[in-house]
Amino acid sequence: MNNEFYIGWMPKAPQGFARHVKRVLLTILPVVLLTGAMLAWLQKRFSTASFEFGKLTEVTGVYFKDPVPMLRVNAGNDIWGNTSYISIPLVGYGKHGANGIIREIEIEHKTSLDHKQVILKGTLLYTDGRTIMQVSSNEIASVKIVPGRTAETATVQKDLGFRKVKGEIIDPKCYFGVMKPGEGKVHRDCAIRCILGGIPPMMHVWNDKGESNYYILVSSTGIDINKAVQDYVAEPVELEARLVQYGDWTLMYVADMKNIRPISSLQLFRPASTIIACGTGCTQ
Amino acid sequence: MGVSYQAIGWNRQKKQYDWLIFGFCCIYLSTFILVTAIFNPEYTFETVLIRSTSTLALLILHVILCIGPLSRINRKFLSLLYNRRHLGVTMFVLAATHGIFSIIHFHALSNVNPLVSLFTSNVNYNSAGGFPFQALGFFALVIFFLMAITSHDFWLHNLSPKTWKTLHMFVYGAYFLVLMHVMLGAIQYERHPAFVLLIALGAAAVLTLHLVAGTREVKKDNSLFDPAVNGFVSVCDVNEIEDNRAKIFCVNSERIAVYRFGDTLYAIHNVCKHQGGPLGEGKIIDGCITCPWHGYQYLPNNGQSPPPFKERVSTYDVRIEGNRVWLNPSPFPEGSERPGTVISQPSN
Ligand code: HEM
Ligand code: FES
Repeated sequence: MNNEFYIGWMPKAPQGFARHVKRVLLTILPVVLLTGAMLAWLQKRFSTASFEFGKLTEVTGVYFKDPVPMLRVNAGNDIWGNTSYISIPLVGYGKHGANGIIREIEIEHKTSLDHKQVILKGTLLYTDGRTIMQVSSNEIASVKIVPGRTAETATVQKDLGFRKVKGEIIDPKCYFGVMKPGEGKVHRDCAIRCILGGIPPMMHVWNDKGESNYYILVSSTGIDINKAVQDYVAEPVELEARLVQYGDWTLMYVADMKNIRPISSLQLFRPASTIIACGTGCTQ
Repeated sequence: MGVSYQAIGWNRQKKQYDWLIFGFCCIYLSTFILVTAIFNPEYTFETVLIRSTSTLALLILHVILCIGPLSRINRKFLSLLYNRRHLGVTMFVLAATHGIFSIIHFHALSNVNPLVSLFTSNVNYNSAGGFPFQALGFFALVIFFLMAITSHDFWLHNLSPKTWKTLHMFVYGAYFLVLMHVMLGAIQYERHPAFVLLIALGAAAVLTLHLVAGTREVKKDNSLFDPAVNGFVSVCDVNEIEDNRAKIFCVNSERIAVYRFGDTLYAIHNVCKHQGGPLGEGKIIDGCITCPWHGYQYLPNNGQSPPPFKERVSTYDVRIEGNRVWLNPSPFPEGSERPGTVISQPSN
């Protein structure tokens, strides 16, 4: 029997023990390195979405309260000489929609913002050619409202009919760059929090070419859509609803929660499945 | 005895142990962060912090759970067991960083309290794929917290070793919660099979080591003795016990250590009062039976820790007839003086 005996309170471990510990440590070291490197390497790639944290941008446009708070911004003339617009949905600070901050601005400036030309400062978030903006209470004072000038033209709308699409309900604020990942199971609680906080839920759809599109979910019956989608956020769903093109965005009018159905994630990734979505092209 | 009874400070071994833990943590964290930054440059700081701390905590948890059975299989691992609680506290600090940061990241700045949000945002408690996995992590963290704050021996004495041990057995429950936390959380998101494989590998290692160490002990415990004669059972040959060492016998489901100290045999209960370490695997040092796990000491002739310590274990009677050692498995009250039995002839 080996007569060495280990006691931890002694200043030095017996030689045999010390040698053994060294061997163990030398085995553990590569395991630690490899595990760390492998886990880090195999993580899903993060999206290129961007949140301009700390950078304020001044945007001039017409504010619309409905269907979701957004700013319609004149983007110059298109090739036919028609004025083109981009719409920038607004969100509040943290996990809040824009309604609260807009109300504060309206109280501060003692006027309604709806259909008015405003100059807002905020932080931009963008992905896949779409932009949204965060407005926080620090920027209330700098808001400028052009008195009395309402929007000259209504936003162009076009009924695209009932469609069945497969994708994932996201909160655009996180998905557009505040969080990475801003989708899927790991981010689910946060997405629910954001949507319950008033950030408009969107349906993210994509096709096998990797093109993405985002449909803004709205209720066609007056129910609180943010609350109604709580159980379907951040998981694969199939959703049947009337699609309406609204300027450069597409709205999805959900009539009944029965039209949202959880599906297996395999259904999203099966390459030969029906067109899950079209890129921006097919909503024209 | 030449031992003085100072409180045990951070001796050289402890310091080395802590530096090693610290070094390994730094290596892991920097590897994880660096590899993420290089291969996944769109990363955000929050996510890399949440993920590097969580995965390291889980890795350390595996080491913690494996050291126990490993040191039963090979005694040389005892040197890693001795300061295992330092690993435990480190693991807790990492898991708490991950958990608290996750709560802030995913639940703060919202319209409800973050802790309320933790349990009420995702309420799919009856679905497997949709299950609110964060709640599982929360309960695991509570267990680790209780274990970390009671890890000092002060609590061991205050709670009684039995309660303490029970509390610390919850580590297995917490391990299970963490596995489910990961399986129902990150694994539902990350699609690469290596993640599931790693989890399975880790769990298999923990399970196998426990089974191997367990079956060995059960085998030892089940060795049969001839029926008792006048209360004594014949256990072994005198020569089988080395000087200053013991052999352990499990008679009537009690483990008893029979020690040889010079030319005398003594028998005491095998279970250390500290954390139940196997006294029979210890050694007599400075005249005291010394527990192999953390070095608690007991006098062979009465099972008492030398003053000022107050631990006491049961003692037993032993007898020698011819070359056979006979042991009486009825215990004397803890700390009872027993004369032992003198080996009359030189045994070799
Ligand atoms: C309050 C307690 C906890 C909360 C709120 C929490 C939350 C989370 C969240 C949100 C994720 C997914 C993060 C992501 O991938 O982006 C996650 C993953 C993970 N958690 Fe926890 N967790 C908690 C406790 C724990 C504990 C105690 C452990 C034990 C070691 C742990 C280990 C892990 C591991 C290994 C992962 C997978 C790797 C990762 O994605 O970070 N968690 N946790
Ligand atoms: S179990 Fe800790 S010293 Fe015996």
